[in-house]
Amino acid sequence: MKPYWSPYAVGVGLGLTLLTTYVLMGFGLGASGAFTHVAAHLEGAVSPARAQANSYIAGYLEAGRLWAQWVVVEMAGVVVGGFLGAWSAGRLGWRFEKGSRIGWGRRLLFAFVGGATVGFASRVAQGCTSGLALSGSAVLSPGAWAFTLAFMTGGFVTARIVRRAWR
Amino acid sequence: MSWPLSLEGPPALLAGLGLGVAFGFLLERGGLGDPKKLLGLFYLEDFTMFKVMFAAIATAAAGIGGLSALGLMDLGALAIQPTYLWPMIVGGLVLGAGFALGGY
Repeated sequence: MKPYWSPYAVGVGLGLTLLTTYVLMGFGLGASGAFTHVAAHLEGAVSPARAQANSYIAGYLEAGRLWAQWVVVEMAGVVVGGFLGAWSAGRLGWRFEKGSRIGWGRRLLFAFVGGATVGFASRVAQGCTSGLALSGSAVLSPGAWAFTLAFMTGGFVTARIVRRAWR
Repeated sequence: MSWPLSLEGPPALLAGLGLGVAFGFLLERGGLGDPKKLLGLFYLEDFTMFKVMFAAIATAAAGIGGLSALGLMDLGALAIQPTYLWPMIVGGLVLGAGFALGGY
């Protein structure tokens, strides 16, 4: 198993990737938008009338086919890239990450609640750690910087409360 | 002022796929596929996420500024995230809490 690369080298590489994205596309990298597109299309498939009645969801459906959405294709690339990174470093394997003091049920419950919370919050803020904290901060968007500082504050405070659950 | 190219259609999607692969590959190689490293900052034990994020932000910001100073990049044509201050502060707080809850 190869060791992780230097975080500074990875950061510079990530910055060049982001710079290339801005040069080619005129906008930055994203993540949560892809999940919103998928969620909108799921609602559109299961309950079309309800989806059309919601202007927020309908707006996503009007963008057209799921696989024609830039951020959806980009996120598919992220999955492939993550797989290639793990595979070429000898890190590929089936495992759940878990602290030693928490049971499986609680571990998965926390993961689900945390994931749902992140999804909800990304719609409140209109972005996540990719679209706002990374891409927005690089173009000096004031809201993105406020988001980044709030993200770190929220994580820091919540970690103090839940840390005993996993240690 | 020929940049950004603002690609559309199939070339845009192809670029998105390639950029996404690079994004995912670098995140994994940097250790950010590991939730313990991802959340280490919140426990003040592992600053990988902080170093990666800020090196990336500084590199991209310097690159965009440099290209603009050279007259190659039209900053006015970039999609800058509009600021909705309170939603972004509240969303950021809750998103950070969600990260910590998701945990490991």
